[in-house]
Amino acid sequence: MKRTVVAIVVFLSTIFLFGSCAKKEEKKQGKVIGVSLLARAHIFYRDLEEGLKQEAAKEHYELIITSADFDLGKQIAQIEDFVTRKVDAIIVCPVDSKGIGPGIKKANEANIPVFTADIAAHEGNVVSHIASDNVAGGRLAGEYLGKILNGKGSVAIINHPMVTSVLDRVQGFKDALAKYPGITIVADVGGDGVRDKAMQVAADILQAHPKLDGIFGINDDSALGALDAARQFKRTNLVIIGYDATPPAVDAITKGSSLKADVIQYPTKIGITTIAKIKDHFAGVQVPKVVPVEVGIVDKDALVKNSTNTDK
Amino acid sequence: MTETSNKPFLVKFARDYGIGVALALEIVFFSLLSPYFFTADNLLNVSLQISITAIIAAGMTFVILTAGIDLSVGSVVALVGVIGTSLLKVDFPLPFAFALTILAGLLLGLCSGTVAGYFITKFSITPFIVTLALMTIWRGAAFMYTEGRPIWELPDAFNFLGSGRFVGIPIPTIIMVIVYLIAYVVLTRMRFGRYVYAVGGNIEAARLAGVKTHRVLIQVYMICGALSALSGLLLASRMSSGQPNAGVGYELDVIAATVVGGTSLSGGRGSVAGTFIGSVLIGVLRNGLNLMNVGSYVQQVVVGAVILLAVMLDQWRRK
Repeated sequence: MKRTVVAIVVFLSTIFLFGSCAKKEEKKQGKVIGVSLLARAHIFYRDLEEGLKQEAAKEHYELIITSADFDLGKQIAQIEDFVTRKVDAIIVCPVDSKGIGPGIKKANEANIPVFTADIAAHEGNVVSHIASDNVAGGRLAGEYLGKILNGKGSVAIINHPMVTSVLDRVQGFKDALAKYPGITIVADVGGDGVRDKAMQVAADILQAHPKLDGIFGINDDSALGALDAARQFKRTNLVIIGYDATPPAVDAITKGSSLKADVIQYPTKIGITTIAKIKDHFAGVQVPKVVPVEVGIVDKDALVKNSTNTDK
Repeated sequence: MTETSNKPFLVKFARDYGIGVALALEIVFFSLLSPYFFTADNLLNVSLQISITAIIAAGMTFVILTAGIDLSVGSVVALVGVIGTSLLKVDFPLPFAFALTILAGLLLGLCSGTVAGYFITKFSITPFIVTLALMTIWRGAAFMYTEGRPIWELPDAFNFLGSGRFVGIPIPTIIMVIVYLIAYVVLTRMRFGRYVYAVGGNIEAARLAGVKTHRVLIQVYMICGALSALSGLLLASRMSSGQPNAGVGYELDVIAATVVGGTSLSGGRGSVAGTFIGSVLIGVLRNGLNLMNVGSYVQQVVVGAVILLAVMLDQWRRK
């Protein structure tokens, strides 16, 4: 029994291997781009991959898509394979911004241009980094809160100031609120970006500020933690804004909880933009070091509209 | 030690009640600085907040009294949280699903403790290494089990465990008090408690005196595991979801509370009463700093400094 299974697996994988090799040989004329995603299981990266494929098909680029599955060693090995195969460009979503350095340097030595998508690399030469515009995302959250509070009141931030993208989000949020002199930021505390810690600090904030009107959570776990605390103190008049529009947050928004809106990223657009920038680079056009991709904000109305659209 | 009587009264008092005095000072300090601190509402809030780590700290006290350590507690919290909540989604009548969740969760905690105790006693691996390994294993298992996503959309009734109140007092607070009362009785009034101190004081002497030291060691890790599991269930209920990243860093908070409470890392000395005060001290500190809107960078520094100060005070008291 066991032997049969092994035999079948070996047989299938051989066929698979030959099949994929054969396909590669026949369309080698176009440019070949190696892609190392952070993970394939996550819906964010599936959408990003979809964007890459869409745009690559248009340009007749061949994509070799691999996934590092959060394993840095695996990711560096994938880049090394791309270097050996002499691909024309490499796209990486680094597992670790610092740790990916050696892998990128290997590609640099082989003169293969490297692009990072979603997550930046701190070492090595990267032609361009394409990612969501976190400052704009924070600004959207601030503007939404400013409008819904009619430009008056006190708000708090559940922060996680150890992460660059979060610092950008908070910066954008504060920039937007600067236009509303009637709104003051009365608290700005760290919740480590996880729900349990965020819930604890949010509870303290609610204690210290009995008249608090709004909370901005720098990601959905922070916002949902704030929601847990708000429920604990029965503070139903609070407006909470989250970031990322993960399924639990979307659920809380559509059910009409205090979580009113969420900033949403467009990973498909990140994929499309990345290929577009690679095309520019191939054509000899100067590509900016950082390319921000637009983000949006969704509330209950937007979500309900969306779901009825997809149902059709 | 004859000079003791010459010292001013306040110094003597501080010396005899070290940690308690520190806590009292802290409470006075925050009461003066924040109008929201000394309110019934906020004190109940603090009791609710500390309950999760304080329950684990009671278990950790047993472990540290035997000169051991358990680093796996935070991961047990996460694993029990995700597995427990996933069982709520089984298509059973609600009361059965509930019982299943709680029983399975506690059993999981007991198992984790048994595994830790087994490796520590049978293979003589230091507790630090065994529980460090379990910490990453359980954390990984929690992520594998959930594929990194939280488990949510739980029945509303489950929220009662963590968010419910009985005569105005949060349920986790009540559970915490019960846990500490039991732990206190076990350590001070029961034979098992004396064995724990004996094993921690001098394991060889305890063995020669006829104490089944291996058994005691495995049992303290089981207690710590079960109490971590209990906290995991309470936390999952409070968040009405099972989060695979819950409880990160709890081991350090819990160890800090235990040590601040006067339990010696080299074993044999300490008490759950001390641990309780230690938990309150750190919980009140975090709460007070948040009420005063102290930034998170500064908070980390302050909490570290207070831990050092409290232990220093305790050492000074013992001289």
